[in-house]
Amino acid sequence: MKHTVNRYFKLWLAFFRNTLSRDMEFKMNFIFEIFIDIIYYGSLFFFFKVIFQFVDALGDFNQDAIIIFLILVYIADSLYVFFLGNNVFEINNKVKSGDLDFILLKPINSQFFISCRYVGIYSLISMGILLILLINLTYAYHENSLLLINYLFCGISLILGMLIFYSFEFIISSLAFWFRNFSYAGWLSGELIKYSRRPDSIYTKWFRKTLFSIFPMAMISSVPSRLLIFGFDLKLFLLQILITCIFLWITTIIWKRGLMRYESASS
Amino acid sequence: MFKYFSILRINWIHSLEYRANVLIGLFAILSGLFIEYQIWSLIYESNNHSKIPMSGIDGGVNFNQLIVFIFLSIIVGQIKSSWVTSSQMIIEIRQGLINKYLIRPISYFWYHFMMFIGINSLYIIVYTLLLLLFILIFPGMIFHTLISVLGFIASLLLSIYLSYCIYFIMVCFSFWFGEVRSLVLAYNLAMLMISGQYIPIRLFPEKVLEIINWTPVPYLVDFPVSIATGIIPVSDWSHKFLYSFIWCIVLTVLSYLIYKKGIKQYEAYGQ
Repeated sequence: MKHTVNRYFKLWLAFFRNTLSRDMEFKMNFIFEIFIDIIYYGSLFFFFKVIFQFVDALGDFNQDAIIIFLILVYIADSLYVFFLGNNVFEINNKVKSGDLDFILLKPINSQFFISCRYVGIYSLISMGILLILLINLTYAYHENSLLLINYLFCGISLILGMLIFYSFEFIISSLAFWFRNFSYAGWLSGELIKYSRRPDSIYTKWFRKTLFSIFPMAMISSVPSRLLIFGFDLKLFLLQILITCIFLWITTIIWKRGLMRYESASS
Repeated sequence: MFKYFSILRINWIHSLEYRANVLIGLFAILSGLFIEYQIWSLIYESNNHSKIPMSGIDGGVNFNQLIVFIFLSIIVGQIKSSWVTSSQMIIEIRQGLINKYLIRPISYFWYHFMMFIGINSLYIIVYTLLLLLFILIFPGMIFHTLISVLGFIASLLLSIYLSYCIYFIMVCFSFWFGEVRSLVLAYNLAMLMISGQYIPIRLFPEKVLEIINWTPVPYLVDFPVSIATGIIPVSDWSHKFLYSFIWCIVLTVLSYLIYKKGIKQYEAYGQ
Protein backbone atom coordinates (compact mmCIF):
# COMPACT_ATOMS: atom_id res chain seq x y z
CA MET A 1 0.00 0.00 0.00
CA LYS A 2 2.78 2.39 1.06
CA HIS A 3 4.71 1.51 -2.06
CA THR A 4 1.67 2.19 -4.28
CA VAL A 5 1.00 5.58 -2.66
CA ASN A 6 4.67 6.48 -3.04
CA ARG A 7 4.67 5.46 -6.69
CA TYR A 8 1.56 7.49 -7.50
CA PHE A 9 2.90 10.48 -5.62
CA LYS A 10 6.13 10.37 -7.62
CA LEU A 11 4.09 10.08 -10.78
CA TRP A 12 2.04 13.13 -9.81
CA LEU A 13 5.27 15.08 -9.19
CA ALA A 14 6.38 14.16 -12.70
CA PHE A 15 3.02 15.46 -14.04
CA PHE A 16 3.59 18.67 -12.08
CA ARG A 17 7.07 19.24 -13.55
CA ASN A 18 5.86 18.47 -17.06
CA THR A 19 2.87 20.83 -16.79
CA LEU A 20 5.08 23.60 -15.46
CA SER A 21 7.41 23.38 -18.45
CA ARG A 22 4.40 23.29 -20.83
CA ASP A 23 2.86 26.34 -19.15
CA MET A 24 6.09 28.26 -19.53
CA GLU A 25 5.85 27.83 -23.31
CA PHE A 26 2.85 30.19 -23.35
CA LYS A 27 3.82 32.62 -20.62
CA MET A 28 1.23 35.19 -21.65
CA ASN A 29 -1.55 32.62 -21.38
CA PHE A 30 -0.23 31.70 -17.92
CA ILE A 31 -0.65 35.36 -16.91
CA PHE A 32 -4.09 35.45 -18.54
CA GLU A 33 -5.09 32.40 -16.45
CA ILE A 34 -4.35 34.38 -13.29
CA PHE A 35 -6.21 37.28 -14.86
CA ILE A 36 -9.27 34.99 -15.33
CA ASP A 37 -9.24 34.21 -11.63
CA ILE A 38 -9.19 37.91 -10.77
CA ILE A 39 -12.08 38.60 -13.16
CA TYR A 40 -14.05 35.65 -11.85
CA TYR A 41 -13.53 36.59 -8.21
CA GLY A 42 -14.27 40.23 -8.95
CA SER A 43 -17.51 39.50 -10.80
CA LEU A 44 -18.87 37.23 -8.07
CA PHE A 45 -17.89 39.75 -5.41
CA PHE A 46 -19.58 42.51 -7.41
CA PHE A 47 -22.72 40.37 -7.74
CA PHE A 48 -23.11 40.18 -3.96
CA LYS A 49 -22.14 43.82 -3.58
CA VAL A 50 -25.15 44.73 -5.74
CA ILE A 51 -27.38 42.29 -3.85
CA PHE A 52 -26.40 43.79 -0.48
CA GLN A 53 -27.62 47.20 -1.62
CA PHE A 54 -31.12 45.84 -1.02
CA VAL A 55 -30.72 43.41 1.90
CA ASP A 56 -28.63 43.04 5.08
CA ALA A 57 -28.34 39.25 5.19
CA LEU A 58 -29.05 36.21 3.03
CA GLY A 59 -30.46 33.80 5.59
CA ASP A 60 -27.72 32.92 8.11
CA PHE A 61 -25.07 34.76 6.14
CA ASN A 62 -24.61 38.48 6.70
CA GLN A 63 -22.37 40.59 4.45
CA ASP A 64 -19.13 39.68 6.27
CA ALA A 65 -20.03 36.00 6.28
CA ILE A 66 -20.80 36.16 2.56
CA ILE A 67 -17.33 37.56 1.85
CA ILE A 68 -15.79 34.66 3.78
CA PHE A 69 -18.08 32.29 1.88
CA LEU A 70 -16.94 33.82 -1.42
CA ILE A 71 -13.28 33.40 -0.54
CA LEU A 72 -13.97 29.77 0.28
CA VAL A 73 -15.74 29.39 -3.08
CA TYR A 74 -12.59 30.71 -4.76
CA ILE A 75 -10.31 28.47 -2.70
CA ALA A 76 -12.48 25.40 -3.44
CA ASP A 77 -12.32 26.30 -7.11
CA SER A 78 -8.55 26.89 -7.11
CA LEU A 79 -7.96 23.66 -5.22
CA TYR A 80 -10.01 21.74 -7.76
CA VAL A 81 -8.30 23.42 -10.72
CA PHE A 82 -4.87 22.75 -9.22
CA PHE A 83 -5.32 19.01 -8.73
CA LEU A 84 -7.98 17.87 -11.16
CA GLY A 85 -9.87 20.55 -13.07
CA ASN A 86 -7.67 20.73 -16.17
CA ASN A 87 -8.18 17.08 -17.03
CA VAL A 88 -11.74 15.96 -16.63
CA PHE A 89 -13.14 17.36 -19.88
CA GLU A 90 -10.33 15.77 -21.87
CA ILE A 91 -12.24 12.49 -21.55
CA ASN A 92 -14.54 13.54 -24.40
CA ASN A 93 -11.64 14.25 -26.79
CA LYS A 94 -9.86 11.06 -25.82
CA VAL A 95 -12.96 8.93 -26.35
CA LYS A 96 -13.88 10.70 -29.59
CA SER A 97 -10.42 10.39 -31.11
CA GLY A 98 -9.55 7.00 -29.65
CA ASP A 99 -6.51 8.43 -27.83
CA LEU A 100 -7.73 6.78 -24.66
CA ASP A 101 -5.94 3.66 -25.94
CA PHE A 102 -2.58 5.17 -24.98
CA ILE A 103 -3.76 5.68 -21.40
CA LEU A 104 -5.28 2.22 -21.10
CA LEU A 105 -1.99 0.66 -22.20
CA LYS A 106 -0.05 2.28 -19.36
CA PRO A 107 0.60 0.14 -16.24
CA ILE A 108 -1.25 2.51 -13.91
CA ASN A 109 -4.83 3.21 -12.89
CA SER A 110 -6.42 4.83 -15.96
CA GLN A 111 -8.83 6.95 -13.91
CA PHE A 112 -5.92 8.38 -11.93
CA PHE A 113 -4.00 9.18 -15.12
CA ILE A 114 -6.88 10.86 -16.94
CA SER A 115 -7.89 12.84 -13.82
CA CYS A 116 -4.46 14.08 -12.72
CA ARG A 117 -2.37 14.35 -15.92
CA TYR A 118 -2.31 18.17 -16.02
CA VAL A 119 -1.86 20.34 -12.96
CA GLY A 120 -3.33 23.87 -12.79
CA ILE A 121 -0.14 25.45 -11.50
CA TYR A 122 -1.27 29.07 -11.87
CA SER A 123 -4.00 28.48 -9.27
CA LEU A 124 -1.27 28.12 -6.61
CA ILE A 125 -0.77 31.89 -6.81
CA SER A 126 -4.50 32.57 -6.31
CA MET A 127 -4.67 30.04 -3.49
CA GLY A 128 -1.80 31.69 -1.61
CA ILE A 129 -3.37 35.16 -1.82
CA LEU A 130 -6.82 33.83 -0.91
CA LEU A 131 -5.57 31.95 2.14
CA ILE A 132 -3.97 35.09 3.55
CA LEU A 133 -7.20 37.00 2.91
CA LEU A 134 -9.27 34.26 4.51
CA ILE A 135 -7.21 34.17 7.69
CA ASN A 136 -7.40 37.96 7.98
CA LEU A 137 -11.16 38.08 7.46
CA THR A 138 -12.07 35.19 9.76
CA TYR A 139 -9.75 36.59 12.42
CA ALA A 140 -11.72 39.84 12.32
CA TYR A 141 -15.08 38.01 12.06
CA HIS A 142 -14.38 35.97 15.20
CA GLU A 143 -13.49 39.14 17.11
CA ASN A 144 -9.72 38.82 16.84
CA SER A 145 -9.46 35.17 17.78
CA LEU A 146 -7.91 32.42 15.71
CA LEU A 147 -10.11 29.33 16.00
CA LEU A 148 -7.66 26.69 14.79
CA ILE A 149 -10.12 23.82 15.17
CA ASN A 150 -12.49 25.59 12.75
CA TYR A 151 -9.68 25.94 10.20
CA LEU A 152 -8.80 22.27 10.57
CA PHE A 153 -12.31 21.00 9.90
CA CYS A 154 -12.88 23.61 7.21
CA GLY A 155 -9.69 22.42 5.46
CA ILE A 156 -10.79 18.77 5.55
CA SER A 157 -14.26 19.80 4.42
CA LEU A 158 -12.77 21.77 1.49
CA ILE A 159 -10.89 18.68 0.31
CA LEU A 160 -14.06 16.60 0.59
CA GLY A 161 -15.91 19.33 -1.33
CA MET A 162 -13.24 19.24 -4.02
CA LEU A 163 -13.74 15.48 -4.38
CA ILE A 164 -17.51 15.96 -4.75
CA PHE A 165 -16.85 18.68 -7.33
CA TYR A 166 -14.54 16.24 -9.16
CA SER A 167 -17.03 13.38 -8.96
CA PHE A 168 -19.76 15.48 -10.50
CA GLU A 169 -17.66 16.74 -13.39
CA PHE A 170 -16.15 13.32 -13.94
CA ILE A 171 -19.55 11.60 -14.10
CA ILE A 172 -20.88 14.19 -16.57
CA SER A 173 -17.74 14.04 -18.66
CA SER A 174 -17.84 10.23 -18.75
CA LEU A 175 -21.19 10.42 -20.51
CA ALA A 176 -19.01 10.77 -23.62
CA PHE A 177 -18.78 6.95 -23.57
CA TRP A 178 -22.53 6.79 -24.17
CA PHE A 179 -23.04 9.85 -26.41
CA ARG A 180 -19.79 9.41 -28.43
CA ASN A 181 -19.35 13.21 -28.57
CA PHE A 182 -20.34 15.23 -25.55
CA SER A 183 -18.37 18.42 -26.08
CA TYR A 184 -20.90 20.47 -24.13
CA ALA A 185 -20.25 18.52 -20.93
CA GLY A 186 -18.30 21.49 -19.57
CA TRP A 187 -21.21 23.82 -20.14
CA LEU A 188 -23.70 21.46 -18.48
CA SER A 189 -21.40 20.88 -15.55
CA GLY A 190 -20.72 24.62 -15.19
CA GLU A 191 -24.45 25.27 -14.96
CA LEU A 192 -24.86 22.63 -12.25
CA ILE A 193 -21.83 23.76 -10.27
CA LYS A 194 -23.32 27.28 -10.17
CA TYR A 195 -25.58 26.09 -7.36
CA SER A 196 -22.49 25.66 -5.18
CA ARG A 197 -21.49 29.30 -5.71
CA ARG A 198 -24.40 30.72 -3.80
CA PRO A 199 -24.81 30.19 -0.03
CA ASP A 200 -27.18 27.34 0.81
CA SER A 201 -29.34 29.72 2.83
CA ILE A 202 -30.86 31.27 -0.33
CA TYR A 203 -32.51 27.97 -1.21
CA THR A 204 -35.63 26.78 0.55
CA LYS A 205 -37.72 23.71 1.33
CA TRP A 206 -37.16 20.48 -0.64
CA PHE A 207 -34.58 21.99 -2.98
CA ARG A 208 -32.33 22.89 -0.07
CA LYS A 209 -32.54 19.29 1.14
CA THR A 210 -31.46 17.96 -2.25
CA LEU A 211 -28.42 20.26 -2.14
CA PHE A 212 -27.31 18.42 0.99
CA SER A 213 -28.03 14.96 -0.39
CA ILE A 214 -28.55 13.69 -3.94
CA PHE A 215 -27.38 16.91 -5.64
CA PRO A 216 -24.75 17.88 -3.07
CA MET A 217 -23.74 21.31 -4.34
CA ALA A 218 -23.98 22.80 -0.84
CA MET A 219 -21.23 20.37 0.23
CA ILE A 220 -18.65 22.08 -1.99
CA SER A 221 -18.44 25.55 -0.45
CA SER A 222 -21.37 26.11 1.91
CA VAL A 223 -20.48 23.31 4.33
CA PRO A 224 -16.78 24.37 4.66
CA SER A 225 -18.02 27.95 5.18
CA ARG A 226 -20.45 26.87 7.90
CA LEU A 227 -17.72 24.89 9.66
CA LEU A 228 -15.38 27.88 9.56
CA ILE A 229 -17.87 30.63 10.39
CA PHE A 230 -20.35 28.96 12.74
CA GLY A 231 -18.12 26.23 14.18
CA PHE A 232 -17.96 22.45 13.98
CA ASP A 233 -21.14 20.53 13.16
CA LEU A 234 -20.66 16.76 13.52
CA LYS A 235 -23.81 15.80 11.63
CA LEU A 236 -22.92 17.96 8.64
CA PHE A 237 -19.32 16.78 8.64
CA LEU A 238 -20.22 13.08 8.74
CA LEU A 239 -22.83 13.59 6.04
CA GLN A 240 -20.20 15.21 3.85
CA ILE A 241 -17.80 12.29 4.35
CA LEU A 242 -20.56 9.80 3.50
CA ILE A 243 -21.63 11.68 0.36
CA THR A 244 -18.02 12.06 -0.81
CA CYS A 245 -17.43 8.32 -0.47
CA ILE A 246 -20.65 7.49 -2.33
CA PHE A 247 -19.89 9.88 -5.19
CA LEU A 248 -16.27 8.73 -5.54
CA TRP A 249 -17.50 5.16 -5.66
CA ILE A 250 -20.00 6.10 -8.38
CA THR A 251 -17.16 7.61 -10.48
CA THR A 252 -15.28 4.30 -10.42
CA ILE A 253 -18.43 2.40 -11.43
CA ILE A 254 -19.19 4.85 -14.26
CA TRP A 255 -15.59 4.75 -15.46
CA LYS A 256 -15.53 0.94 -15.56
CA ARG A 257 -18.92 0.76 -17.27
CA GLY A 258 -17.82 3.45 -19.73
CA LEU A 259 -14.63 1.58 -20.60
CA MET A 260 -16.73 -1.48 -21.45
CA ARG A 261 -18.55 0.64 -24.05
CA TYR A 262 -15.37 2.21 -25.40
CA GLU A 263 -14.82 1.28 -29.03
CA SER A 264 -11.40 2.85 -29.64
CA ALA A 265 -12.43 5.06 -32.55
CA SER A 266 -9.10 5.27 -34.38
CA SER A 267 -8.03 1.62 -34.20
CA MET B 1 -22.30 37.58 -50.91
CA PHE B 2 -23.65 34.18 -51.98
CA LYS B 3 -20.47 32.45 -50.78
CA TYR B 4 -21.05 33.73 -47.25
CA PHE B 5 -24.58 32.35 -47.25
CA SER B 6 -23.13 28.98 -48.22
CA ILE B 7 -21.01 29.13 -45.07
CA LEU B 8 -24.11 29.98 -43.07
CA ARG B 9 -26.00 27.06 -44.60
CA ILE B 10 -23.19 24.55 -43.96
CA ASN B 11 -22.90 25.59 -40.33
CA TRP B 12 -26.66 25.48 -39.89
CA ILE B 13 -26.61 21.86 -41.14
CA HIS B 14 -23.68 21.16 -38.83
CA SER B 15 -25.53 22.61 -35.84
CA LEU B 16 -28.47 20.26 -36.57
CA GLU B 17 -26.12 17.32 -36.02
CA TYR B 18 -25.86 18.13 -32.33
CA ARG B 19 -29.43 19.02 -31.43
CA ALA B 20 -29.02 17.81 -27.85
CA ASN B 21 -26.78 20.83 -27.16
CA VAL B 22 -29.85 23.04 -27.44
CA LEU B 23 -31.35 21.17 -24.52
CA ILE B 24 -28.31 22.14 -22.45
CA GLY B 25 -28.80 25.74 -23.59
CA LEU B 26 -32.42 25.64 -22.44
CA PHE B 27 -31.40 24.04 -19.18
CA ALA B 28 -28.78 26.78 -18.68
CA ILE B 29 -31.43 29.48 -19.11
CA LEU B 30 -33.95 27.89 -16.77
CA SER B 31 -31.35 26.87 -14.21
CA GLY B 32 -29.79 30.36 -14.17
CA LEU B 33 -33.24 31.87 -13.82
CA PHE B 34 -34.09 29.50 -10.97
CA ILE B 35 -31.01 30.61 -8.97
CA GLU B 36 -31.85 34.28 -9.55
CA TYR B 37 -35.46 33.59 -8.60
CA GLN B 38 -34.34 32.11 -5.28
CA ILE B 39 -32.08 35.04 -4.42
CA TRP B 40 -34.51 37.78 -5.43
CA SER B 41 -37.51 36.15 -3.74
CA LEU B 42 -35.48 36.15 -0.50
CA ILE B 43 -34.60 39.83 -1.02
CA TYR B 44 -38.20 40.85 -1.80
CA GLU B 45 -39.44 38.89 1.23
CA SER B 46 -36.94 40.73 3.45
CA ASN B 47 -38.20 44.04 2.03
CA ASN B 48 -41.88 43.11 2.54
CA HIS B 49 -42.36 42.82 -1.24
CA SER B 50 -41.87 46.55 -1.78
CA LYS B 51 -40.49 47.72 -5.15
CA ILE B 52 -36.73 47.92 -5.68
CA PRO B 53 -35.30 51.13 -7.18
CA MET B 54 -33.97 50.66 -10.69
CA SER B 55 -32.22 53.27 -12.83
CA GLY B 56 -34.51 54.62 -15.56
CA ILE B 57 -37.76 53.38 -13.98
CA ASP B 58 -39.88 55.67 -11.81
CA GLY B 59 -41.02 53.94 -8.63
CA GLY B 60 -38.79 50.89 -9.12
CA VAL B 61 -39.61 47.34 -10.17
CA ASN B 62 -41.64 44.61 -8.53
CA PHE B 63 -40.56 40.98 -8.28
CA ASN B 64 -42.31 39.79 -11.46
CA GLN B 65 -40.92 42.63 -13.58
CA LEU B 66 -37.40 41.94 -12.35
CA ILE B 67 -37.59 38.20 -13.01
CA VAL B 68 -38.91 38.81 -16.54
CA PHE B 69 -36.05 41.25 -17.11
CA ILE B 70 -33.49 38.69 -15.90
CA PHE B 71 -35.13 35.93 -17.98
CA LEU B 72 -34.78 38.00 -21.15
CA SER B 73 -31.25 39.08 -20.21
CA ILE B 74 -30.11 35.47 -19.88
CA ILE B 75 -31.58 34.61 -23.30
CA VAL B 76 -30.02 37.62 -25.04
CA GLY B 77 -26.73 36.99 -23.21
CA GLN B 78 -26.59 33.46 -24.56
CA ILE B 79 -27.51 34.38 -28.11
CA LYS B 80 -24.73 36.96 -28.36
CA SER B 81 -22.07 34.69 -26.88
CA SER B 82 -19.55 33.44 -29.41
CA TRP B 83 -17.05 31.34 -27.53
CA VAL B 84 -17.27 28.24 -29.75
CA THR B 85 -16.11 29.99 -32.93
CA SER B 86 -13.57 32.08 -30.96
CA SER B 87 -11.82 28.97 -29.66
CA GLN B 88 -11.66 27.56 -33.15
CA MET B 89 -10.21 30.80 -34.55
CA ILE B 90 -7.53 30.94 -31.85
CA ILE B 91 -6.46 27.35 -32.55
CA GLU B 92 -6.35 28.10 -36.30
CA ILE B 93 -4.11 31.12 -35.82
CA ARG B 94 -1.84 29.36 -33.33
CA GLN B 95 -1.40 26.28 -35.48
CA GLY B 96 -0.99 28.18 -38.73
CA LEU B 97 -4.25 26.90 -40.17
CA ILE B 98 -5.55 30.21 -41.46
CA ASN B 99 -3.50 29.87 -44.65
CA LYS B 100 -6.55 28.31 -46.27
CA TYR B 101 -8.49 31.54 -45.77
CA LEU B 102 -5.65 33.75 -46.97
CA ILE B 103 -5.46 32.07 -50.37
CA ARG B 104 -9.23 32.21 -50.90
CA PRO B 105 -11.19 35.26 -52.06
CA ILE B 106 -13.02 35.58 -48.75
CA SER B 107 -12.80 37.79 -45.71
CA TYR B 108 -11.72 36.03 -42.53
CA PHE B 109 -13.91 38.41 -40.52
CA TRP B 110 -17.12 37.71 -42.47
CA TYR B 111 -16.39 34.01 -42.89
CA HIS B 112 -16.37 33.51 -39.12
CA PHE B 113 -19.27 35.88 -38.61
CA MET B 114 -21.44 33.71 -40.86
CA MET B 115 -20.08 30.62 -39.13
CA PHE B 116 -21.05 32.13 -35.77
CA ILE B 117 -24.59 32.86 -37.01
CA GLY B 118 -24.86 29.38 -38.53
CA ILE B 119 -23.73 27.60 -35.37
CA ASN B 120 -26.04 29.70 -33.20
CA SER B 121 -29.04 29.51 -35.55
CA LEU B 122 -30.58 26.49 -33.86
CA TYR B 123 -30.30 28.23 -30.47
CA ILE B 124 -31.88 31.38 -31.92
CA ILE B 125 -34.87 29.38 -33.22
CA VAL B 126 -35.38 27.46 -29.98
CA TYR B 127 -35.03 30.58 -27.81
CA THR B 128 -37.52 32.39 -30.05
CA LEU B 129 -39.98 29.55 -29.45
CA LEU B 130 -39.32 29.86 -25.73
CA LEU B 131 -40.10 33.58 -25.93
CA LEU B 132 -43.32 32.90 -27.88
CA LEU B 133 -44.34 30.37 -25.26
CA PHE B 134 -43.63 32.94 -22.56
CA ILE B 135 -45.78 35.55 -24.33
CA LEU B 136 -48.64 33.05 -24.58
CA ILE B 137 -48.45 32.06 -20.91
CA PHE B 138 -47.83 35.56 -19.53
CA PRO B 139 -49.47 38.00 -21.97
CA GLY B 140 -48.68 41.68 -21.50
CA MET B 141 -45.40 41.16 -19.62
CA ILE B 142 -43.17 41.85 -22.66
CA PHE B 143 -43.61 43.25 -26.17
CA HIS B 144 -46.45 45.64 -25.45
CA THR B 145 -46.56 46.87 -29.06
CA LEU B 146 -45.62 45.49 -32.46
CA ILE B 147 -42.93 48.14 -32.83
CA SER B 148 -41.26 46.86 -29.66
CA VAL B 149 -40.90 43.45 -31.35
CA LEU B 150 -39.20 45.10 -34.34
CA GLY B 151 -37.05 47.25 -32.05
CA PHE B 152 -36.03 44.18 -30.08
CA ILE B 153 -35.02 42.28 -33.23
CA ALA B 154 -33.02 45.26 -34.58
CA SER B 155 -31.25 45.87 -31.25
CA LEU B 156 -30.56 42.15 -30.88
CA LEU B 157 -28.91 42.05 -34.32
CA LEU B 158 -26.72 45.01 -33.35
CA SER B 159 -25.90 43.29 -30.05
CA ILE B 160 -24.84 40.08 -31.84
CA TYR B 161 -22.67 42.05 -34.26
CA LEU B 162 -21.06 44.14 -31.50
CA SER B 163 -20.37 41.04 -29.46
CA TYR B 164 -18.80 39.28 -32.45
CA CYS B 165 -16.52 42.29 -33.10
CA ILE B 166 -15.29 42.23 -29.50
CA TYR B 167 -14.59 38.49 -29.76
CA PHE B 168 -12.81 39.01 -33.09
CA ILE B 169 -10.52 41.68 -31.59
CA MET B 170 -9.62 39.36 -28.70
CA VAL B 171 -8.98 36.47 -31.09
CA CYS B 172 -6.58 38.66 -33.11
CA PHE B 173 -4.31 38.94 -30.06
CA SER B 174 -3.31 35.32 -30.69
CA PHE B 175 -1.21 36.63 -33.61
CA TRP B 176 1.10 38.04 -30.93
CA PHE B 177 0.57 35.79 -27.91
CA GLY B 178 -0.26 32.40 -29.47
CA GLU B 179 -2.76 31.15 -26.92
CA VAL B 180 -5.41 33.60 -25.73
CA ARG B 181 -8.36 31.33 -24.93
CA SER B 182 -8.04 32.32 -21.30
CA LEU B 183 -8.56 35.96 -22.32
CA VAL B 184 -11.82 34.98 -24.06
CA LEU B 185 -12.84 33.00 -21.00
CA ALA B 186 -12.08 35.96 -18.74
CA TYR B 187 -14.18 38.18 -21.01
CA ASN B 188 -17.07 35.68 -20.92
CA LEU B 189 -16.98 35.54 -17.13
CA ALA B 190 -16.80 39.30 -16.82
CA MET B 191 -19.61 39.83 -19.31
CA LEU B 192 -21.95 37.51 -17.39
CA MET B 193 -21.91 40.16 -14.72
CA ILE B 194 -21.04 43.46 -16.40
CA SER B 195 -23.42 43.15 -19.35
CA GLY B 196 -26.27 42.48 -16.96
CA GLN B 197 -26.90 38.85 -17.80
CA TYR B 198 -27.59 37.93 -14.17
CA ILE B 199 -28.20 41.27 -12.53
CA PRO B 200 -29.67 44.10 -14.63
CA ILE B 201 -27.03 46.80 -15.05
CA ARG B 202 -29.71 49.28 -14.03
CA LEU B 203 -29.30 47.96 -10.47
CA PHE B 204 -25.57 48.70 -10.45
CA PRO B 205 -24.28 51.57 -8.30
CA GLU B 206 -24.62 54.94 -10.08
CA LYS B 207 -20.85 55.47 -10.48
CA VAL B 208 -20.32 52.05 -12.09
CA LEU B 209 -23.24 52.69 -14.42
CA GLU B 210 -21.75 56.01 -15.48
CA ILE B 211 -18.54 54.27 -16.58
CA ILE B 212 -20.40 51.42 -18.32
CA ASN B 213 -22.49 53.90 -20.29
CA TRP B 214 -19.30 55.09 -22.03
CA THR B 215 -18.66 51.59 -23.41
CA PRO B 216 -20.54 49.30 -25.83
CA VAL B 217 -21.61 47.09 -22.89
CA PRO B 218 -25.16 48.52 -22.41
CA TYR B 219 -25.95 47.67 -26.05
CA LEU B 220 -25.11 43.98 -25.58
CA VAL B 221 -27.92 42.93 -23.23
CA ASP B 222 -29.59 45.86 -21.51
CA PHE B 223 -30.67 47.72 -24.66
CA PRO B 224 -32.57 44.86 -26.37
CA VAL B 225 -34.12 43.74 -23.07
CA SER B 226 -35.17 47.29 -22.14
CA ILE B 227 -36.91 47.64 -25.50
CA ALA B 228 -38.72 44.31 -25.07
CA THR B 229 -39.91 45.18 -21.58
CA GLY B 230 -40.87 48.73 -22.54
CA ILE B 231 -38.44 50.43 -20.14
CA ILE B 232 -37.03 52.66 -22.89
CA PRO B 233 -39.77 54.84 -24.45
CA VAL B 234 -39.94 54.78 -28.26
CA SER B 235 -38.89 58.46 -28.36
CA ASP B 236 -35.49 57.51 -26.86
CA TRP B 237 -34.80 54.68 -29.27
CA SER B 238 -33.29 56.77 -32.06
CA HIS B 239 -30.26 58.08 -30.16
CA LYS B 240 -29.69 54.70 -28.50
CA PHE B 241 -29.72 53.01 -31.90
CA LEU B 242 -27.38 55.70 -33.20
CA TYR B 243 -24.85 55.12 -30.39
CA SER B 244 -25.09 51.39 -30.89
CA PHE B 245 -24.50 51.80 -34.63
CA ILE B 246 -21.51 54.10 -34.00
CA TRP B 247 -20.02 51.44 -31.72
CA CYS B 248 -20.50 48.87 -34.51
CA ILE B 249 -18.52 51.08 -36.91
CA VAL B 250 -15.77 51.80 -34.37
CA LEU B 251 -15.33 48.12 -33.48
CA THR B 252 -15.44 47.01 -37.13
CA VAL B 253 -12.66 49.47 -38.03
CA LEU B 254 -10.68 48.39 -34.97
CA SER B 255 -11.14 44.71 -35.89
CA TYR B 256 -9.84 45.33 -39.42
CA LEU B 257 -6.85 47.36 -38.19
CA ILE B 258 -5.80 44.80 -35.58
CA TYR B 259 -6.29 41.91 -38.01
CA LYS B 260 -4.20 43.72 -40.63
CA LYS B 261 -1.39 44.30 -38.12
CA GLY B 262 -1.70 40.74 -36.85
CA ILE B 263 -1.54 39.12 -40.25
CA LYS B 264 1.83 40.83 -40.82
CA GLN B 265 2.99 39.16 -37.63
CA TYR B 266 1.58 35.76 -38.62
CA GLU B 267 4.24 33.12 -39.37
CA ALA B 268 2.06 30.05 -40.08
CA TYR B 269 3.70 27.94 -37.39
CA GLY B 270 3.53 24.23 -38.00
CA GLN B 271 2.69 24.56 -41.70
